[in-house]
Amino acid sequence: MQPYIDRVANNITEFTLDNGLNVIVLERHEAPVVSFATYADVGGADEPDGQTGVAHFLEHLAFKGTTRIGTRDYEQEAPLLDRLDELFEQRRAAQAAGDTAKAEALNAEFEQVQQEAAAIAIQNQFGQIVEQAGGVGLNAATSADYTLYTYSLPANKLELWMSLESERFLDPVFREFFEEQQVILEERRWRTDNSPIGQMVEAFLDAAFQVHPYRRPVIGYNEDIRNLTRQNVQDFFDLYYVPNNLTLAIVGDVDPAQVRQLAEVYFGRYAAKPAPPQVQLVEPPQTAPRSVTLSLDSEPWYLEGYHRPNGMHPDSMAYDLMASILSSGRTSRLYKSLVEEQRLALGAAGYGGFPGDKFPNLLLFYALTAPGVELDAVAAALHGEIERLKQERVTATELERVKKQAQAGLLRSLASNGGMARLLAEYQGKTGSWRNLFDQLTKIEAVTPADIQRIARATFRPENKTVGQLIRTQD
Amino acid sequence: MNHYHTPRFRFSLPLPWVRGLILLIGSLLFVVLSAPMVAAATARHYTELEFPPLRAVEMPNYERYTMANGIVVYLMENHELPLVSGQASFRTGSRLEPSDQVGLASLTGTVLRSGGTEDRTPDEINQFLEQRAASVETSIGDAVGNASFDSLTADLPDVLNLFAEILQKPAFRANQIDLAKQQLGGAIARRNDNPNDITSREFSKRIYGPDHPYGRTVEHRTLANIAPEDLIQFYQQSFRPEQMLLGIVGDFQPQPMKALLAQAFGDWQQVAAPPLPPLPTVEQANLGGTFFIEQPQLTQSHIALGHLGGQLNDPDYAALSLMNGVLNGFGGRFFNELRSRQGLAYSVYGFWSPRFDYPGLFIAGGQTRSEATVPFIESLRREIDRIRTAPVTAAELDYAKESILNSFVFNFQSPSQTLSRLMRYEYYDYPADFIFSYQRAIQNTTATDILRAAEKYLKPEELTTLVVGNSGAIEPPLASIKGDVVALDITIPPPQ
Repeated sequence: MQPYIDRVANNITEFTLDNGLNVIVLERHEAPVVSFATYADVGGADEPDGQTGVAHFLEHLAFKGTTRIGTRDYEQEAPLLDRLDELFEQRRAAQAAGDTAKAEALNAEFEQVQQEAAAIAIQNQFGQIVEQAGGVGLNAATSADYTLYTYSLPANKLELWMSLESERFLDPVFREFFEEQQVILEERRWRTDNSPIGQMVEAFLDAAFQVHPYRRPVIGYNEDIRNLTRQNVQDFFDLYYVPNNLTLAIVGDVDPAQVRQLAEVYFGRYAAKPAPPQVQLVEPPQTAPRSVTLSLDSEPWYLEGYHRPNGMHPDSMAYDLMASILSSGRTSRLYKSLVEEQRLALGAAGYGGFPGDKFPNLLLFYALTAPGVELDAVAAALHGEIERLKQERVTATELERVKKQAQAGLLRSLASNGGMARLLAEYQGKTGSWRNLFDQLTKIEAVTPADIQRIARATFRPENKTVGQLIRTQD
Repeated sequence: MNHYHTPRFRFSLPLPWVRGLILLIGSLLFVVLSAPMVAAATARHYTELEFPPLRAVEMPNYERYTMANGIVVYLMENHELPLVSGQASFRTGSRLEPSDQVGLASLTGTVLRSGGTEDRTPDEINQFLEQRAASVETSIGDAVGNASFDSLTADLPDVLNLFAEILQKPAFRANQIDLAKQQLGGAIARRNDNPNDITSREFSKRIYGPDHPYGRTVEHRTLANIAPEDLIQFYQQSFRPEQMLLGIVGDFQPQPMKALLAQAFGDWQQVAAPPLPPLPTVEQANLGGTFFIEQPQLTQSHIALGHLGGQLNDPDYAALSLMNGVLNGFGGRFFNELRSRQGLAYSVYGFWSPRFDYPGLFIAGGQTRSEATVPFIESLRREIDRIRTAPVTAAELDYAKESILNSFVFNFQSPSQTLSRLMRYEYYDYPADFIFSYQRAIQNTTATDILRAAEKYLKPEELTTLVVGNSGAIEPPLASIKGDVVALDITIPPPQ
């Protein structure tokens, strides 16, 4: 396996622009296509209190264009956008003061100006340019740790991406802010408020973390989303979307020398800025078990989480392999015990890295009860397996199996341009070097059964546990 | 769970040409152009850029042959990584199972793999595969049976032999049948937990009919009717050498592979079994009407409206897929109008969504806050009326056309993509060059063609509307749309 990994690593070129922007290029000439990932090392965890959802809101607005894209006339549009912000503030003040008549009048004016602005904007022009050029997979994702922007183009359009992507973050205009606010509120209703498990996860994180921002939902609290302003988004952008906080990964049928030359021309336009602040809050050790129960219109779910170290911690790979022994495949302990033999659950598994892995996070177990089975029975069976990890070492055969699967998983990931662009960008952006992706092979080798027993004993303590129970509302 | 995406649409088109290609042995170039890249010394706006021609795409070599027992084999080498994978399709489907045994096909597909073989227990098989980071999986969908394997090159003969053993000598052990039944029963119990699932399931029932093979769902009652012998018979009817297409792609040499296949599959003979029934006929169950499912806990309505659609080999398919392009995507009318201008929805879509061998759906919908339900439906209907009464603009036509034609190269990214497409075309008896006919048809379609197709295929009077939501918060009420609102009861019939 190592020779294949080495061959890929040898096809990687990395460079840093004078302004601090990192670029990783992986040549892969199987087809004349190229995938791009722009990784911003900022996510939900970096948001100021009261502004949850701003990282995700910014991600949506990063599709709205620039002073030259998405508008018929920016000179005419800009004052309207400013006016909308003012009217929004005045309306909020009038509402707060209970002055309904004034709020309604302001609202009428707001809607009028909004229509004028909409007539100047060219909706979704950025996405349309990409798609019309043959771009596919145009999307973005915001997590607690990071924000990632991706798409792929035919390989002859490398320079198009250089032009569009550099302009996107050089000269963004956060237009259609208030329309998009409604879209995001719909997204929140869809993901969270109208999804029993969505509500459960939000409540669970809120219980499991008391200090660290991992406790908050990435999409933001309803009230925060409603109160965010365009200035909030601009401030967040100015602070975090700076060259030394961005990583570009380009994978496919490209010439690295040309990529470098173009990157210098296009992304070299970004001015160097100070490094953005890092999350300082540290979750204190948990000292007593916690639990949260929600009663909703849903069949039951059982969640149980334990605090574990971050993704770069020396024990991180041992945690991942332990989770695999419990959860991965038909031979996994939770499947065999809870699903196949005892028939208590329709599915049961546990994985680390929740809700992110840049900071100490949770190893989260979940189980869907089989019909007629009580949550207590599932919890007891889960604890049986957890106790076993503490009492006896995993077998050499089991450990070999999950190691082989982890190695093969890495190998299989090499065959996708888009997948490699995301992985390389994430490892570079989050851990400081893309080489950490491939160094996993060495880390996998090093884990022993004793390591797993040690971390199981350190982790699976009652006072380190949070339980989440979703039960059906009784009519 | 921790990612928030900005999707273009949630119901994706069943784009068959996203995986497959041309029936030729040899290397074929479909774009024979190359030119030196010219790079800018200064940053340029996108409108100022010119692009060199795209480098030629090299079609993967492959070989197709038929074994004496009828198995059609495709072999495609790819030595980039030390991996080999195989995929097989079998002529079967849940649409062919008896109506009082809904769930039989799904159970058969599951337990074929999970139930062990005559020679090996399920545990032995699971252990054997997972110890090698390999997999074998089987399933039966609505229109096809699938089997696949994935292996490191070093383990190939062992994994391939096990794959063959599972397909030819399954044991359908009783405890694994019970487990699979419990899993299906559990899924029935959970099927109303998520409004997305309710909407897509109940919409299909309204169009195809609640008891029709394309609309019906597994129930506790139909599960109870299924005995182990039924699985064995359905297996014998479905998984037969003369109904099998097998494709293998990856790091192997053809001669040893052929010998391996001859040894693993050459002795598989047909067993006598009653033939599967013919395909069901399809007609629309409800021609219009508004249906409502009460979910008082929701703050958002889930909406789907549409009618019966068509097949991929309809002569107007290219025009209809360009219509899809004008309506959807970032530059599409639904996204621009309902999402970006009106802020009505996170997800909104409207697709002509054809199938290979039976009529698919025309379906439009999305989710919106309860009070915006009626405006959302009216906006959807307005866009449907507009696309069938006025020609699309030249800019819209360019957007839809160039999006498809310029991204065509993404249909040829990997050999496995090409192999899947070839096999799918053969399974449904489509010409092997279907994707290229489609490409030509897209090139030749005009705005007039799109208008004519939209007018012919979209039928406002047959649009059937389904809303899943909280009637107390839907204001104005659904009744303000013309016609009666029929309330649907989705209470799950309990086990007997």
